[in-house]
Amino acid sequence: MNEQSSRRRFLIAGLSLPAFGNVSSSSRQPAAAGSAPAASGLRYRNLGKTGLKVTSVGFGCMITSDPTVIERAADAGINYFDTARGYQGGNNERMVGAALKSKRKSVVVSSKSHASGKEEALRDLETSLRELGTDYLDIWHLHAKSRPEQLTEELMEAQRVAKQQGKIRFAGVSTHAGHAELIPAAVKTGHFDVILTSYNFSMDPLMEKLIADARQAGVGIVAMKVMAGGFRKVREADPLHPKLGREGAMLAMLKWVLKNSNVDTTIPSITDLDQLDENLRVMTEAFGAADQKLLAGHLERIRPLYCRMCGACEGACARGLPVSDIIRYVSYAEGYGQYQLGREGFLTIPAELRQASCASCVKCAVRCPNGVQVGERVARAHELFA
Amino acid sequence: MKRLRLIAGCLWLAASGPAAEFPSCGLVPGWIQKGPAREFVSDNLYDYINGNSEGYLIYGFQNMRGVTCVSGDRSIVFDVSELPDSESAYGLFTSNRDPREPLEKAGMGAQVLGQRAIFAKGSYFVEFAASPPDQDHRDALRAFLLAAEKLVEGTTALPDPVGWFPAEGLDHASIRLVPQSVLGLSMLKRGYVAQYEFGRAVIIQESSPELASALMGRLRQRFGQTEAASVAGESFTGSDKYLGRLVFFRKGAFIGGFVNVGEGQDLVASAAALAARIP
Repeated sequence: MNEQSSRRRFLIAGLSLPAFGNVSSSSRQPAAAGSAPAASGLRYRNLGKTGLKVTSVGFGCMITSDPTVIERAADAGINYFDTARGYQGGNNERMVGAALKSKRKSVVVSSKSHASGKEEALRDLETSLRELGTDYLDIWHLHAKSRPEQLTEELMEAQRVAKQQGKIRFAGVSTHAGHAELIPAAVKTGHFDVILTSYNFSMDPLMEKLIADARQAGVGIVAMKVMAGGFRKVREADPLHPKLGREGAMLAMLKWVLKNSNVDTTIPSITDLDQLDENLRVMTEAFGAADQKLLAGHLERIRPLYCRMCGACEGACARGLPVSDIIRYVSYAEGYGQYQLGREGFLTIPAELRQASCASCVKCAVRCPNGVQVGERVARAHELFA
Repeated sequence: MKRLRLIAGCLWLAASGPAAEFPSCGLVPGWIQKGPAREFVSDNLYDYINGNSEGYLIYGFQNMRGVTCVSGDRSIVFDVSELPDSESAYGLFTSNRDPREPLEKAGMGAQVLGQRAIFAKGSYFVEFAASPPDQDHRDALRAFLLAAEKLVEGTTALPDPVGWFPAEGLDHASIRLVPQSVLGLSMLKRGYVAQYEFGRAVIIQESSPELASALMGRLRQRFGQTEAASVAGESFTGSDKYLGRLVFFRKGAFIGGFVNVGEGQDLVASAAALAARIP
């Protein structure tokens, strides 16, 4: 495991390369001067108190293969682009930097570091800047934090140092899990300018309040995982495909996120120009009754699989299993494709509970009010993570 | 790793016993293996490469074997990935190399940087990552790369399409095999792209001329108003809000073209020059 981790670190450490196409930090400007709504069809929102005006739909670059899509998105006016030191083994930052080279002044670029210490984080930042071919990041996130204790003074100090040196404009933190504790804790520090959080229609309604409170405190909110884990991948064999696979169906979720005015921008993945077109269109389309229907259809699809974290099952398992946690970990792996996150979460459960098997119970005592097939999900967790 | 063989140059390794498998730290004197060897397949690559397994899988990744080598306080993570064919290995190489840095002459392509070295040969993609990150490890990385390259069987010839892009105005380092949505068009599943001073070129191979012709039809439909041109078997020019001035042609099972072509550039002449190089 150490070897595995070390390889990741090596790859993430990246390459010692000269910067190219650098843009002077002295010429930094807010990303766009427009205000909502713009005549172009683009919609801008203020990113918290940063002073940045960002398009309500941004671009999550993590899985994009051809930089043509990124270039054309910037041409079309999308002005928020998200990458990370670790994406595509470090190649993603290089591709994003090359694609946005001629537009650096007019776009907001965010990246992230998985580092756990100050020196490592600052090294990551230097590598990010070199790979992106810029001398500053607009937003630099601490990557994938899920517990308040991960927001260490050391990491925040790294962000402060980077700010003082003019290498980042704003400090951020990204979170896929543990929102209920992590988001208030991040706000309470008074340190973070931006929070990048998973947020979609299928999540606990508590998210609305968490986001509203953070936004009220002046923190910019960027939403990711807005498609609730691969809605675009509804297979043709899926009985719900005719309803969910047609044009527009995939975008209902994005519209749902955008109707929350506390969300400043979103970063859906975009891999082709058709998706770019759709996402651009979403900026001007309100969430309506048809979208609501589509989301209901999607819920039908994920109901047996997806824990909405209502807490009703707490303490209900005769073997003492933390059922909702386990189902959430499976969802990370299968819904969001965040296998590692799921497994890491699973491994936080005490060993004696992890080893407990549902097969030893004659009948499952847990009844999910939302229709999640608890026994099947727990068995799946063992298959995946044990 | 069925086709990986220890060949003549590593007889001394074979003499050291069954542990002397490939990849091996013994390739370079002074380095020893730390910890067990690693082996991953597509189902568990995520365990190892959190955040980039998709970057391998998209090129048809089959398996990976690796070791960690140490010498004093330095370590090198040495991994060998097997792809379905040499084109896929080259594709993975193009997505990992740094186009701003020079290539080395090894395999189909190789690159040695301060903390990382990579090469592709045959259906294998081989990578080395060195630590500590604040040191320059080029000498050790190059020694490993050159030793490993000798042991990997397979072609060192570049995939044919790489040589078909006309040289004039070409940014040679920009050539990539894109594994999905080439040019951002989901109908173009896989193909080579190259950046020119005046626009971006593409070469797509379909499995038959008929399928290529059908794809041409879909391209024409996508771009709406197009004009027939006289390049190769069939061709058209047009424009697109994202891809600007463009030209596509079909020659046998291949589709080629240019997009985002600058105003002063002759679309048809550019396409004809590319088509002339495709057999």
